[in-house]
Amino acid sequence: MTMNAVRRFFSLIEGPQTIGHGRPFWLGFALVVAVALVFPAFADGYTVGNTVYFLNSVFIALGLCLIWGYVGVLSFGQTAFFGIAGYSYAVLTINVGTAYGFTFAALALSVLAAALFATILGYFLFFSRINGVFLGIVTLSVTLVLERFMAQTSGPEWKIGTARLNGTNGINTMPPLTLPWSGGDFVFYPDPPLYYLVLALLLIVYLCLRILLNSRFGNVLVAIRENPERAEMLGYDIRKYQLGAFVIGAALAGLSGALYTAWGQYITPSSMGMTAAALPIVWVAVGGRSDITAAAIGTFIVLAVFQALTIYGNQYALVVMGALLVLTVLFMPDGLILSGAAKLGRITQTLRHRRSL
Amino acid sequence: MSRNALLRFRKAALAGSFLVAAAVSTIVPSFASEPIKIGVLEDQSGDFALATSGKVEAIQLATDEINAKGGIAGRPIELVIYDTQSENTRYQEFMRRVLQRDKADVVFAGYSSSEREAYRPIVNQLDGFVFYNNQYEGGVCDGNMVITGAVAEQQISTLIPWMMKTYGKRVYTIAADYSFGWISAEWMKQIVKENGGELVGQELIPLGVSQFSQTIQNIQQAKPDFVVTLLVGNSQSSYFEQASAAQLNLPMASSIGVNQSYEHKRFTPPTLANMHVTTNFIEEIDTPEAKAFVARFREKYPEIPYINQEAENSYLAVYLYKEMVERAKGSTKRADLQKEIAKGDICTDAPEGKVCIDPKSQHVSHSIYLAKVGEDHSISFPAHWDNVQPYWLGQAGCDLTKFDPSTQYSPDNPPPKG
Amino acid sequence: METGYLAFAMVMQFADAFAFLVLAACGLAIVFGMMGIVNLAHGEFIMCGAYVTVAAVHAGVPLPLAIAIGAIASALAGMVVEFACIRHLYGRPLDSIVLTWGISLVVTQTTLITLGSNMPSIGTPYGSFAVGPYSYSVYRLVLFGSALAVLAGLYIVFNWTRFGIAARATMQVPHMAAASGLDTRRIYSWTFAIGAGLAGLAGGLYAPTMTLVPTMGTSFMTEAFVTVVVGGADVILGTAPAAAILAIIKAGMTYWKGQLFGQIGLLIAVIVVIRILPKGISGFLTRQ
Repeated sequence: MTMNAVRRFFSLIEGPQTIGHGRPFWLGFALVVAVALVFPAFADGYTVGNTVYFLNSVFIALGLCLIWGYVGVLSFGQTAFFGIAGYSYAVLTINVGTAYGFTFAALALSVLAAALFATILGYFLFFSRINGVFLGIVTLSVTLVLERFMAQTSGPEWKIGTARLNGTNGINTMPPLTLPWSGGDFVFYPDPPLYYLVLALLLIVYLCLRILLNSRFGNVLVAIRENPERAEMLGYDIRKYQLGAFVIGAALAGLSGALYTAWGQYITPSSMGMTAAALPIVWVAVGGRSDITAAAIGTFIVLAVFQALTIYGNQYALVVMGALLVLTVLFMPDGLILSGAAKLGRITQTLRHRRSL
Repeated sequence: MSRNALLRFRKAALAGSFLVAAAVSTIVPSFASEPIKIGVLEDQSGDFALATSGKVEAIQLATDEINAKGGIAGRPIELVIYDTQSENTRYQEFMRRVLQRDKADVVFAGYSSSEREAYRPIVNQLDGFVFYNNQYEGGVCDGNMVITGAVAEQQISTLIPWMMKTYGKRVYTIAADYSFGWISAEWMKQIVKENGGELVGQELIPLGVSQFSQTIQNIQQAKPDFVVTLLVGNSQSSYFEQASAAQLNLPMASSIGVNQSYEHKRFTPPTLANMHVTTNFIEEIDTPEAKAFVARFREKYPEIPYINQEAENSYLAVYLYKEMVERAKGSTKRADLQKEIAKGDICTDAPEGKVCIDPKSQHVSHSIYLAKVGEDHSISFPAHWDNVQPYWLGQAGCDLTKFDPSTQYSPDNPPPKG
Repeated sequence: METGYLAFAMVMQFADAFAFLVLAACGLAIVFGMMGIVNLAHGEFIMCGAYVTVAAVHAGVPLPLAIAIGAIASALAGMVVEFACIRHLYGRPLDSIVLTWGISLVVTQTTLITLGSNMPSIGTPYGSFAVGPYSYSVYRLVLFGSALAVLAGLYIVFNWTRFGIAARATMQVPHMAAASGLDTRRIYSWTFAIGAGLAGLAGGLYAPTMTLVPTMGTSFMTEAFVTVVVGGADVILGTAPAAAILAIIKAGMTYWKGQLFGQIGLLIAVIVVIRILPKGISGFLTRQ
């Protein structure tokens, strides 16, 4: 590969499909990363562990943003992949243990399991040409099926190897991510090391998604969203592109699920239930589904605000949450971040305009 | 920032926080009156709000009573309360918060078993001390937990022999298809067999099912002498209405009806007529201690719909905690408290009667009352057992005074021998 | 004789499952089929109907009238929601999912805060009857009859009335309908109200047989969604046959292997239908 090709590849980090370009954006980006890097020095153990939990959730939001915002296909079943990966992590690590850093292999295998399931499901969906709202209902049904199935596995006959599935009680005997280290294993509890690990993963995923979306593949996805018939006329097999994006989105949901399971050492069927299934949609909708940066920031903000409401708003928290959602959909259809950014942009523009006068 | 700079910065921040802490501690008068923090994580909204209403109020009531008399070992109790919205993930978030941020000395947490299993790894990792004040299927052998609710063997080993003696030996069981229902049904099978009875049918009902016509028909086909209903959740309690409408007219027995979600108050008579429940508390119990407790409760919280067994479990838990801390000379360290528990005489005179902590399993002995629901939904108490032990875990090999496996066992998955 | 009793019992089980599926689903199906909107607040309209019905009965209104009041109250609530929110979202069906979920959160929790964690039940009326060794609640027949009546009513409304024909025209080609002078806005408004009213009717009808809690609507949702997925977009051609097929599967599997298999049977049916009839039964029946 010549230097030029490498440069061209990395130049895709900016482009028409992602917001943010030029020096101001990347300076801001660097600032955010810097703050994120020093943040654990200022925060107490609770805040760090809690932030890891928020960061875990951003992956599923990015995946949903990819298929909803960029392909125009609403999957209501992202939590199915979340749950499959979570349970895979549990079953694999309980059976094999933590030797030789196996937990990290289990993490990768769990994501793979979610992607595999998505490939099969996606084949049924896209090659049957199911689209639009109907696809939302079907994917929701799938995740509810999985929830009900897992909920009835209390009996002793439901076990995989040495891992009892435990029905609604869930599994909580899996180890956290563990690295063999000189002088004993290093265990990634929700402390700064896990924080840095997840943060690094998130940065890699985010930057890779930017490159992917600005590549030919991403452009075709947007073409399909804008007008599927036209994309098909131009010779693209839109089913393959939809399936590809669906599988990537599912893998990200799976990454969320496996990381969540390792974070809290717990996975339960209700992680795939109705409420759980709706939450990623809320995060992405409120943040702004048409851009991954907006979706990621929105997810983080919504999680923090909802949690704060629960802490300080007591039983009115759910009412305020619901009302916030309704208002966002009605008055900021592009999501909080994008609508806010647009307003801010307009203001600065007028200011600049005035100054130039 | 280089690694060195980061380290230096951290040291500075640490030193700064010590200075602040030192400054604060000179303002706070003395150690003796520093409050003991009890974290409270209960579902005040969501699906379980019906069954858990009264738990937070009971803890508040006990706290006020204790504080009015000078607190625990001279220190007032301070409550840190979070609404967990019947969501497992909220327990994960708030258990971390209450242990790491609020630095609670002890936490009272959880209604459903899945909620308990969601927070238990966190409690183990952060070495917290938690009271689970709820009836459940049993089997948790964990040094970080004290469990004040009744377990399957306490309620079923009293209920079933009485029912078989009174109504006959043919038993039909319908149970919710999850760990509580499953394990209770296993107990049922075993105890029915031991008493020479016959299990003529057993059905596990998925959670959330609200339509029972096939189940009712199956029961009619099997012709049992009585039906054991181990149903949970609001959807499943629709069974009673539908069975009554179909004129099933069989005696019913349960360990989980009436005592949690006061079905006898919510359904129109005679829907629940002839239901028999073994419980360590319900508000109709007519001993002087129970009546006085209900009167105090109602005076403070006239709005509360029903004072159920979980409310009483939560109330007595505060007093059990007071007892062990005072014996440990005011220490709230888990190791010191467990040393006191190991002596085997941490008891309190609860509204139900005297209850004690079993040192092997850190579960609690109970007075068990058999409550019978009449045609007009009034309650009578044809039988009563004192000092019923949570015996299974200890017999099966769980001994927290020696070893802490931090695991939930069940009859089909007992502790390893030796 | 014994097999005769058992056969009758099977028929009753089928009728029971059929009634539940039809009543749970038809409100959802109308709103989805006519407007393309997935109404996640469907369960809350059911709860609304049930609560109003029960409140009316407690106030001394006879049950049939109380159920009608419950359905009307739900329809009115539906109109309000349509006017305030849904109206602004035509052409954004995916956003409507988020919006209705938000509404459902607000409604459930507000109900819990204002009315408490439950309502006292009203008891099932009309007694019971016995066939051989089995006894049945008469009210189950009322439910089955109501389900048939709802289907017949919908058939009449959507095929024989001016509104129904206009509604179907609007559903098929909205801009043509608008161009030919139909007030599509009003049609959508009425359609949503009818959907909400049917949900309220289901709530009212099942109120005497169920526990009354703010989250009671959720126990209808899975069955409702499954029926809509299998049925497809058309209420008449989809919901009725879908409910019939699913009822046979559910009642048969429940009889054979218990409640769990009844549920699994439903879900397998969904997966099979998705593959062979991606647009549901009605999509298959109306294909060109």
